Amino acid sequence: MGRRTDTLAGTLELLILKALARSPNHGFGIALHIDNASEGLLTIEEGSLYPALHRMEREKLIRGSWSVTDNGRRAKVYALTATGRRRLDEIEAHWLNTAKGVSKVLRFA
Amino acid sequence: MRQLLSYLRRRFLPEQDWRDEMEANLELRKEWQRGQGMTGEAAEAQVRKSFGNQTRALEEVRDVYWAHYIDDLVRDLRLALRECWRHPSLFFSAVGSMTLGIAAATAIFSLVDPLLFRPLPYPSGDRLVSLGLIAPIDKSEFILGSQYLDWRDGQTAFSSITAMRPAVECDVTLNRTARIPCVSVEWNFLKTLGVNPSLGRDFLKSEDVPNAPLAAIVSHTFAAVYGGQTAVGSTFKIDGRDARIIGVLPPTFVMPQLGESQVLLPAQLDEGRMRAPENTTFLRAFARLKPDVSLNEARERMAPLVQKALISVPPSLRKEAKFVLRSLRDRQIEEAKAASWLLFLAVLFLLAMSSVNIVNLLLARAEARRQEIGMRRVLGASPWRLLREAVTESLVYGLAGTIFGTVAAVLLIRGISRAAAGGFLRLDMARVDGRVLVFAVGIALLCSLVIGCVPVLHTLGPELLRGEGTRATARRSRLRRVLLSLQIAFSLLLLSGSLLFMRSLLKLESSSPGFVPENLIAVTVNTTRVRYPQSAQLAAFQNEFERRMSTMPGVRSFAVSDSLPPSGGMHGRPLGNMLVDGGSEPLQNGGMVAFRYVTPSYFETMKIPLLSGATFNEADRTRKGASLILSASLARRIFGRANPLGRRIALGGPGSDWNTVIGVVGDAKNDGLAHGGDPEYYRPRLRASSSDHRIIAIFRTTVTAAAVERWARQQMAAIDSSVPVEVTAMPQRLRSLNDRPRFLAVIMSTLAVAAVALAAVGLYGVASFIAASRKREFGVRAALGATRRDLTILVGQDVLVWVAVGAVAGLGAELLAQRYIRSLLFGISASDGASLASAVIVLLLTAVIACFRPALRASKVDPALTLRSE
Repeated sequence: MGRRTDTLAGTLELLILKALARSPNHGFGIALHIDNASEGLLTIEEGSLYPALHRMEREKLIRGSWSVTDNGRRAKVYALTATGRRRLDEIEAHWLNTAKGVSKVLRFA
Repeated sequence: MRQLLSYLRRRFLPEQDWRDEMEANLELRKEWQRGQGMTGEAAEAQVRKSFGNQTRALEEVRDVYWAHYIDDLVRDLRLALRECWRHPSLFFSAVGSMTLGIAAATAIFSLVDPLLFRPLPYPSGDRLVSLGLIAPIDKSEFILGSQYLDWRDGQTAFSSITAMRPAVECDVTLNRTARIPCVSVEWNFLKTLGVNPSLGRDFLKSEDVPNAPLAAIVSHTFAAVYGGQTAVGSTFKIDGRDARIIGVLPPTFVMPQLGESQVLLPAQLDEGRMRAPENTTFLRAFARLKPDVSLNEARERMAPLVQKALISVPPSLRKEAKFVLRSLRDRQIEEAKAASWLLFLAVLFLLAMSSVNIVNLLLARAEARRQEIGMRRVLGASPWRLLREAVTESLVYGLAGTIFGTVAAVLLIRGISRAAAGGFLRLDMARVDGRVLVFAVGIALLCSLVIGCVPVLHTLGPELLRGEGTRATARRSRLRRVLLSLQIAFSLLLLSGSLLFMRSLLKLESSSPGFVPENLIAVTVNTTRVRYPQSAQLAAFQNEFERRMSTMPGVRSFAVSDSLPPSGGMHGRPLGNMLVDGGSEPLQNGGMVAFRYVTPSYFETMKIPLLSGATFNEADRTRKGASLILSASLARRIFGRANPLGRRIALGGPGSDWNTVIGVVGDAKNDGLAHGGDPEYYRPRLRASSSDHRIIAIFRTTVTAAAVERWARQQMAAIDSSVPVEVTAMPQRLRSLNDRPRFLAVIMSTLAVAAVALAAVGLYGVASFIAASRKREFGVRAALGATRRDLTILVGQDVLVWVAVGAVAGLGAELLAQRYIRSLLFGISASDGASLASAVIVLLLTAVIACFRPALRASKVDPALTLRSE
């Protein structure tokens, strides 16, 4: 839990929330979705995914439960909670604003 | 069910869950890779690469859950410690109060725990009972032989019932001869108690029949003295009979009646003889309740047998006989029960008072921090968060209090055991052990929680949320005043109680025993039956003893007796057995009469006044059954106002010898100092024969006890050096009889002083608080012309009203408690007006003194300053 990961963790949280907003999913599924959706630009180490997932579960942004996947395997599947949905809206807007601002600054130069 | 199990597992063993989750996802990834056509080592490597370090991931997950607890704890602790650092006076007062409360409570708990709470040293000891009849002949329940046989064979309430004869002193010869306490018990005695010998075996039924060879089970200490491990199997002589040691009791063994016993022998009850009508085998019975039978049910089931037993009691005793069936614990602690509960409750009150004091202190601080707390509340600090901080802080006080308090308790207990060994039943068992530590930590936790929560919950009132800053003080200050009343009530209870015990003790110590104890020294000699088997031999030894003792130099008066007032070892018989010449019937309902055999100079030596008639003379010592001297109470009991002199009494009832009353003497106490005692008669000590192995020489002398002892030992060495000599100074003996009342009075007074001190601190705090919170009002009043005296009185009134409420509550509680302390008092009523009144006066004075300074300060308010600050 170093300070180093703070910005990344913020981003990771956003990515996870967004991934789960589509449909509930398990850890591997989330990693895969981010990989696919970013067309390979963002690859997330699954190992760093779990601490984030558990922290978010503790903060009641998502809720995990064991269930059986389509192909008959057991996996812990996470879903967004109402709080999580609100948080997603907040940080998505914030992120878009920041990104917009940053790119404007970059373009200005 | 399975869901529940998996929930529990996830709740309490989350690590496994995390591992499972990662494994499951790894499998998913592998399967996905297989779908993509990746296999073999490359695939494995790909899996590892995309997952990263699994161990580290697990650790980070763990951090998510634990780090925050630890972080919070560290932060709360840091806040708490900073709080302590910033307010050292608060910290020290709180820790001091806590230490006082915990030290007192822990010390007293370790005293009463062995009596009230600790399991008896028998398996399922709470199922054991003592049963029998109570009659004036003995204070504890007993049962006569034939009745016991009926009960044993007819009872349905017990899984096992057993009996013992009263403990006696036996002459035991193994390596040397000694008098040792020994008890005859039925063969199933230890089985009923659930105790196994630690070495050897228990009695067999075949050893418990008349005339069977004697088997003995000996105490651990006996075995240690007489051969240790090899003791089992060896033989020794007991009262002249051969006995073989078959077993050794565990070192922790305790007799059910708490008596001392070095040797257990089979009782070998002769049932045929016991059923004979004149048989008076005296037994004590113990039993183990069947698993489903309660005490009350056992009483009901015993009722028919009890009826039958009461019919066989002589009519003269029947009215006074009563059936008793009670738990073994109650039998063991008897009159110490009331004192134990009293001390325990008293010390819990004290603990409550010290906690209330801390709550008061913290409330005052919370008052000062209202703004800050309100601000934090607005900024989003949850009530839970504030509560946790407060409790962490009070736990710091609690921890410090536990550490200091326990250390103090250990010292206290050590000091008490050394200073007052006879002051409390089983004081030797009192020590700070695991149980006591658990108690100390338990009460500390409880107090800390209360101390932490009350002020916060109180400050977090709804008005804070609405931002009403100062208006809602009425409700809050009421709590402080109620707490004050509570403290006053507690301390009044303790104070009046301790005054009662003090006054009772003073009465006890100043009450006359009926003789003059100063300058009395007694030399007691106990001979053994083995050494002096014949009455004539014994008489010869005792005559020689008397002759030599009478030559002691520096003695003003000298007498010989077989027992010493004011308690212990006298003979007794029911008054109902005695027959008066000219009276047609035996005397009814008289209880017991005590008697002694004394030499003519006994009354002069003891300074027991001769009220009428004459004392014995030397001639009386040669005639059997002639002269009799009565105590005043016995003369009154038998003859009323008539003149007893010259009347004849058959002491053993019809058919026994007639004795003529030649004198009446004053009553001397013979049942301890606290009780009225039994009426008593005296017979002359005969020269020709003796059956009593104890003989006591009594000196009225100014020679010191040590000098008497030296001289007596020299003399005894010339007669028979094997006989032990015991020298007692009467004033010390009387003093030690008051050990228990003195102990109770001293401990209660100590607690009361602490309580009053705590109450004074509490009063001071509340008065200061009232003065501060009404400052504005006082300013206005002063501006409108109130004098300083008016203002002082205002504060005083405010406090004293609540003191009065507390005092009334305390008096009420005291009156309710009377019933329970009555048995502990001597010569004084539990509602003794003087004690109660002085307690109230002391408390009121304390209240006035404690309020004085704050009230004075309040009265010095400068109206201009106060009004300007608005």
